[in-house]
Amino acid sequence: MSIKIRMRGKAVNGVAEVKALIKHPMESGVRMNKKTGKPFPALFINNVEVTVNGAKAVDSQWSGAVSANPYMAIQVKAKAGDEIALNLTDNTGESGSETITLK
Amino acid sequence: MMKRRVFLRNTLATGAAVVAANAGLLTPTTVLANWNKDAFSAKSTDNALSSLYGSASTAESGDIQLKAPAIAENGAVTPVTVDASGMSGVESIAILASKNPIPLVCTYAFSGAAIGYASTRIKMGETMNVIAVVKAGGKLYKAQQEVKVTIGGCGG
Repeated sequence: MSIKIRMRGKAVNGVAEVKALIKHPMESGVRMNKKTGKPFPALFINNVEVTVNGAKAVDSQWSGAVSANPYMAIQVKAKAGDEIALNLTDNTGESGSETITLK
Repeated sequence: MMKRRVFLRNTLATGAAVVAANAGLLTPTTVLANWNKDAFSAKSTDNALSSLYGSASTAESGDIQLKAPAIAENGAVTPVTVDASGMSGVESIAILASKNPIPLVCTYAFSGAAIGYASTRIKMGETMNVIAVVKAGGKLYKAQQEVKVTIGGCGG
């Protein structure tokens, strides 16, 4: 099952702010499970890539210290009609992607 | 005789590989080669910066706008925004939380159409500094702000 992403973006004066909400537990691997005395296994998104019309714009790497159900906002130089794509992968290899057309 | 030795050596080597694979299974971390494992396992901000940029020396800069709350009621969702769009030649932004077990939270590398701006929400275990490190024109700049984390929900 792929990771769910909600993404919005609007271009104003040549600059577009792209916001994404991702559904993911972001388990850091440090938090203890009190019942077993062992930490919960790490499960977090570690690579996020954003492209504008197919060209790479932002390459982001995350640790487990990004909050659960992460929110991310970035800005790119783009105009209405440009295509923004977001691809991400977590540390177990699970991936998700979303593509929007700027308004 | 030689064949037997080769056989022995190969079995030993395979054994070691299996052990390594098992260790890998217990802590699943490396899936993508470009994820900077050293920087993301460093226990101090200086070590993390050294692994990331090869240097931990940063200059304070007023051009970096770091937005974080003065008091975070819930340390598990601390909104942090780094705006370095006023600087020229921004190559990357790193966000660190100084007292977290693993200080480095996230990095953003910019290319093409990107602007030096990043906003996210991070986890913080206690009151500490949020540090934004911006690499622009080959140099490292830093801005930091203390965020008070009130634990227990009493508001302190």
